[in-house]
Amino acid sequence: MYRPEHKAIPGRPFLTILRYNRPYLKSYLIGGILSVFFVVIGLGLPFIVRGVVRSFTEGQVTMRLLWLYFAALIAIAVTTGFARYWERMLIIRASRKCEYDLRNDYFRHIQTLSQDFFHRTQTGDLMARATNDLNYVRMFIGPGIMGTIDMIQLPLTLAILAWFSSRLLLYTLIPLPFVSIIVYFIIMYMHRQSQRVQAQYADLTAQVQENLAGARVVQAYGIGERETESFTAESESYMRENVKLAAVMSLAWPLIGLIVGLMIVLVLWLGGFMVINGVLALDDFTGFVVAMLLLLWPLVEFGWILTLYQRGIVGMARMNDIFREKPSVRDDEDTQQAFTVTRGGIRFDTVSFSYDSRAVLQDLDFTILPGQTVAIVGPTGSGKTTVVSLIMREYDVNAGTVFIDDLDVRRIPLRALRQAVGYVPQDTFLFSESIRENITFGKPDATDEQIRYACEVAQLTETIDALPGGIDTLLGERGVNLSGGQKQRLAIARAVIADPKILILDDAMSSVDTQTEEKILERLRLVMEQRTSIIISHRISTVRNADLILVVDDGRIVERGSHESLLALRGLYADLHERQLLEEELEHL
Amino acid sequence: MSQTEAYHVEDEVQQRAYDAQLMRRLLAYVRPYRTFMVAAVLLLFVSALFSSVVPLLNWRAISLYINNPARIEMEHRVQSGDSAAAPALRDQAATDKRGLYKVVVLIAVLMVAEAVIRFAQMLIVAWLGQKAMLKMRVEIFSHLQKMSLRFLDRNPVGRLVTRVTNDVEKLQETIISGIVQVINDLSIVFVILGFMLYNNWRLALIMLSPIPFVFVTGVVFRKYARDSYLEIRRRIARLNSCMQENVSGMRIVSIFNREALRFEQYRRFNADHRDEWFSQVRYYAIYFPIVDFLGTLSVALIILYGGHQILRGQVLFGAAADIGMFFAYVQWSERLYGPIRTLADRYNLLLEAMASSERVFELLDTPEDIPNRPGAPAVSNLRGEVQFNDIWFAYEPGQWVLKGIQLDIRPGERVAIVGHTGAGKTSLVNILSRFYDVQRGSVCVDGIDVRDYEKTSLRRNIGVVLQDVFLFSGSIEQNIRLSNPDLPSDKIRACAEYVNAGKFIERLPSAYAYNVGERGANLSTGQRQLLAFARVLAHNPRILVLDEATSSIDPESEALIQDAIAKLMQDRTSIVIAHRLSTVQHADRIVVMHHGEIREIGTHQQLLARRGLYYTLYRLQYKDQDISRP
Repeated sequence: MYRPEHKAIPGRPFLTILRYNRPYLKSYLIGGILSVFFVVIGLGLPFIVRGVVRSFTEGQVTMRLLWLYFAALIAIAVTTGFARYWERMLIIRASRKCEYDLRNDYFRHIQTLSQDFFHRTQTGDLMARATNDLNYVRMFIGPGIMGTIDMIQLPLTLAILAWFSSRLLLYTLIPLPFVSIIVYFIIMYMHRQSQRVQAQYADLTAQVQENLAGARVVQAYGIGERETESFTAESESYMRENVKLAAVMSLAWPLIGLIVGLMIVLVLWLGGFMVINGVLALDDFTGFVVAMLLLLWPLVEFGWILTLYQRGIVGMARMNDIFREKPSVRDDEDTQQAFTVTRGGIRFDTVSFSYDSRAVLQDLDFTILPGQTVAIVGPTGSGKTTVVSLIMREYDVNAGTVFIDDLDVRRIPLRALRQAVGYVPQDTFLFSESIRENITFGKPDATDEQIRYACEVAQLTETIDALPGGIDTLLGERGVNLSGGQKQRLAIARAVIADPKILILDDAMSSVDTQTEEKILERLRLVMEQRTSIIISHRISTVRNADLILVVDDGRIVERGSHESLLALRGLYADLHERQLLEEELEHL
Repeated sequence: MSQTEAYHVEDEVQQRAYDAQLMRRLLAYVRPYRTFMVAAVLLLFVSALFSSVVPLLNWRAISLYINNPARIEMEHRVQSGDSAAAPALRDQAATDKRGLYKVVVLIAVLMVAEAVIRFAQMLIVAWLGQKAMLKMRVEIFSHLQKMSLRFLDRNPVGRLVTRVTNDVEKLQETIISGIVQVINDLSIVFVILGFMLYNNWRLALIMLSPIPFVFVTGVVFRKYARDSYLEIRRRIARLNSCMQENVSGMRIVSIFNREALRFEQYRRFNADHRDEWFSQVRYYAIYFPIVDFLGTLSVALIILYGGHQILRGQVLFGAAADIGMFFAYVQWSERLYGPIRTLADRYNLLLEAMASSERVFELLDTPEDIPNRPGAPAVSNLRGEVQFNDIWFAYEPGQWVLKGIQLDIRPGERVAIVGHTGAGKTSLVNILSRFYDVQRGSVCVDGIDVRDYEKTSLRRNIGVVLQDVFLFSGSIEQNIRLSNPDLPSDKIRACAEYVNAGKFIERLPSAYAYNVGERGANLSTGQRQLLAFARVLAHNPRILVLDEATSSIDPESEALIQDAIAKLMQDRTSIVIAHRLSTVQHADRIVVMHHGEIREIGTHQQLLARRGLYYTLYRLQYKDQDISRP
């Protein structure tokens, strides 16, 4: 049975968020209690102000009373300060932990997915979900949850207001919800406009990128000036979107400030009338104003929190789209968990494979005995790489069976299967780490002796010695950039060091010059003698010594045999051979 | 790895010391809008003034009307049984209400006015910042159009794109709005301080005594929070590039069974990122309560001080404990705290902007390396004669790719250039269009050195079709037109028909309006070729340079392409890097290049008869295409 590496519930973003927060429930609870605590303490403020005003109006001020008020205010400030500190530490930190869990699960889940997923999904899309969407989810659980807990103060503050003057509260109650609603709409609109700006920014970036990538065409047709004109037009519309966003933002903050201010003016006006009419005492009025100030900003915050919820749910739903994916190639109950590849024999039994309903391989039948070296040749796009992909079970076949050591690859544990294979890909992919880490990629515990040997085989020793940092030189942006040939040689060392039962070289020396290739092949022959080897190559010199040569064309094996027997056939292989002789001839002209 | 690099470069925040010269150069972009700038600053003062007046009016509303001592006096009298005072109280109450009403209306009006002014001011600043940056952005883009291929080869596209987009963005954010923000903060601070000190300097001083602490904690907090923030940026960049690299290299990871270890690395980066956030959270958790505390301290201080004064018999708050003033001062101090807190952070942002501006100016200051000679004439009415006079050319010093090329091409002649990989064929056409300048010798068109023509007009007269057809995302018509507004649509159609592209275009969902996708991804190789032919024909150059595609194309398109090439070569000087037998056979002359030299020249039959280099090439490349082969 398939057990996902995550806790997500696809289709239920809200439940997913709750589930990821479950481990931190304690933090939220304690944070919540603290929050209630400081809210209650903080509500003492209007009472103190009211008390001060009363003492003054009634002329009962004593120095002792003043110190008492002073001490009470300081005490409130200090205790709420501590409570706020812990609330933030507990809740926001919990949200960061939750983000951490979610990120880990996302990464781990992606790792389990199969090649077909990566073919139809763009890296940028996966990244966007791990950055933007994840951030929305975190805003939901951090500030969102903390803000929600803080909302406890709304009813409490309302109760206090009612206690000071229920009539005045009644007068001012009606506009209150609008504070949240207006803030909600302003922020939603702001968010939408900022997305429009981002989209326009992406267009602008794409235009510059395209212009530079197509610089030859631009220059050849002398259209640089016209390109500048169209770039100017694009920049102008970007500017317009930006000004629109600026307009919303310029409107938003003064407007929110204005709404809050006008609410206070309303209280001042209506409350003032009540005081003048003698129906409201001055001290109650003062307390009311202070409490009203305590109420308004949470109301603004509430509008903001609503937008956080909305975006958080959308973000989680988008992450769930990825969590929903299941690996198409995986171990199941038929997998023979204890199996390991011991000999390295390979057999294709009438194997067909199609991708996107296009037939890539048809009716492949061949056997590779343990220890044999087999070459696959054929034109570009004939399906050579797909053959080895099926051996490594990167995809599952549509018909027929691939056997390794006489067991269907679908029943071999993926881990065991891949442990048995050493692969040198067509396009070398290296990680931006040190050369050592790249070489020992499949065998992290390799000894220096083994590394040296692998480098020798791949003719890499001299290259590495010439680098300032030697084998610990970093690759990529922060280190050196190797040439295509050097990268391929590194990939060879990476495959050799793992001492695999099956070694696969997929056009592995296309960027290596012929002389170096000769040397590598010479060393590799020793390595290949002890294991099953599959070589895909365009060069006859690379494949001529193989035990068996398969000639693939248009997804089928069209010729097979040894070098000599294939030459005698005077078919595709012989043709290829002749061409290469001519090329060599040209080199020497 | 290139995508990963882009992640790093863009996410890294850099700072640079303040540089007056850079600043002057930056401000030059705002100069055309200085009237607006001045207007914005004036509006800013007005809004600061308005917002400071509001607490004053609140004070008046409370002290003069709501808590009017005279009325309260009467109330006491009425309460103590003096019924004669009742009508006077009613009158006074009515007067107070009218007064209160007036003040409240005034406050509301001021608030609305302040909001409107603030809106206008923010909008003006944003607009002029955008305007200035638009100018800079277009300037950089336009400068890039003049850069040579050599420059573009050396500088990764991603980095140049960052200059045009990200760096300019940063300048807009920090410089323009930054400067205005500082003025804004300062003006608010000074106006409010003025009001507070003017009305009651003792009270103001007592109340403001925590302000230095606010400023100091602000500076200290910003420093920690900022460092931590930069560290977070670094760590998130590392985290994201780790994920990106893994997704790109997932195939290798899974084949080499490295999932667990890669995950462990990711988890570690993730934990680092989380931990840095923990310290950031702590800074905020400490800072906010301290600021709140200092605010409350201010309030507590006036209660204590004011009460003390009253007890000593000094009537500080007016007759009946003037809570109006109390309110005003609390409001003022609240409005003061924000600007004082943020002022501390502005300088850092400025330093970041400095780093961006330096990179931008460095690019703008890079000179054109293939410049027009001053007063160079534009090309007009070419005959189409081309001469290569003893050309020596190298991309990297010392590594000659063309060695003493001597070749004269008559107007209207069709020349095929053949040779094995690395023979120097592409370089030959590169120097003809002056994509690169030669080191020795000269290329002449109609007897004049190409370096003596105005570059763009020369290139417009030489039609180039590259091996990899580059299409821009956009419609078919746009790709043929290439932003040339003078081309009528029917001519575009005619050209497409002529080179056999019409048929497939008509079959597309929206025909000539069909979007070809990024780099023409929605079209097949053969279709892209035909489109490129239509493009070059529409611009009707005197000289045609064609680098034939080597990749295999389905037989049907192949026939169309061969036919189209023959048509294209008619009536114009044509230089074709040939991979097709038919093209070679249509040529008047075949030039065989090898290792940067011309080795053989002649017609197809002549060269075959020689049994030399061409003969070998023929057997290698063209033999299969020769259906007439015995």
